[in-house]
Amino acid sequence: MLVEIARKLDRWIVDQNVLLVEEGLLRHAACSIRLLGQSALIEANLGLRLLATRDVDVRADYDDAVRLEFARLLALAGRELDPLGHEVWMPRETRYAELFRGKFVHLLLAEPEAVLLSKALKAPVKNKQLITQYLSTIANERFFELARKYRVDLEPFT
Amino acid sequence: MKPAEVRKRARARAAELERLAHDPRYLRVIGRLVREGLLVANHEVPAFDGPFRLDEALFAGSVEPRVLELLPALILKQPSLLVHPLDVPADLLEVLKDLRSQRRPRPFRGIPGEDMERWLPRTGRKGKLPSRLKSFRFTAEDQRLLRSLADELELSETEVIRRGLRALI
Repeated sequence: MLVEIARKLDRWIVDQNVLLVEEGLLRHAACSIRLLGQSALIEANLGLRLLATRDVDVRADYDDAVRLEFARLLALAGRELDPLGHEVWMPRETRYAELFRGKFVHLLLAEPEAVLLSKALKAPVKNKQLITQYLSTIANERFFELARKYRVDLEPFT
Repeated sequence: MKPAEVRKRARARAAELERLAHDPRYLRVIGRLVREGLLVANHEVPAFDGPFRLDEALFAGSVEPRVLELLPALILKQPSLLVHPLDVPADLLEVLKDLRSQRRPRPFRGIPGEDMERWLPRTGRKGKLPSRLKSFRFTAEDQRLLRSLADELELSETEVIRRGLRALI
């Protein structure tokens, strides 16, 4: 779903830029949108049973008009751009995978191990069941390595 | 604890959670919240159209804490999702009192106050916050004036007072 929204946003920027150039105004610059939080886990298709609230956390470098259009497109799909999404803490080593690259929009997905580490460290109670499910199924060495580095106690999730 | 030990212990706990996730109380609450678009699921959730009981929501919240994050806002802004009357436990009552008074609530069963607070303007009628009942003494003349303005402007008496307050700013 988010790839389709990114595609629509890219088309919108292309159209807007044509109009802006015609009017002699500054064009929208290319932007990257990094998908974080529970939405990133859903997009990653991990095989975990996930529930999320409808808000979408992203860290992005778009201008305000592009942000508003992105929020509008998300709302049409029943989702909501979290105004505080950019405040989500992520480990420095987080790797991002490309989900979509258009002319102006680059949508990136935070790696699940880093997203889950962030949840285990910053909101352990709310994510206890999710982390337990992850640990019991697909937890990998990368996650354990990050957990060791950031001193996350995994015992409460077991 | 070594990763192998963590995985082994998590598997036992996950089996218990899996059993709880098939409980009809959990399914009713999640089914309704997904149908309302308040929760998003990446798996099939049986749809449920009816209201759920508060104790069912609290049970579902013990399995999926995001239900607890939404619950206070639902009680205040979308009460039709729940079966009434509500038998509200003391800790939840405190949260509701804080939210009604537009104060940040204390944590509720592990959910931070700000996580519950942010759903208030985003559920039910969007952008609206709970209103509080206040009593005033009006003279007969005040009451006559209020009624006459409400009739003339085709507004409720409360709305007349709200507009009057804003006119004084």
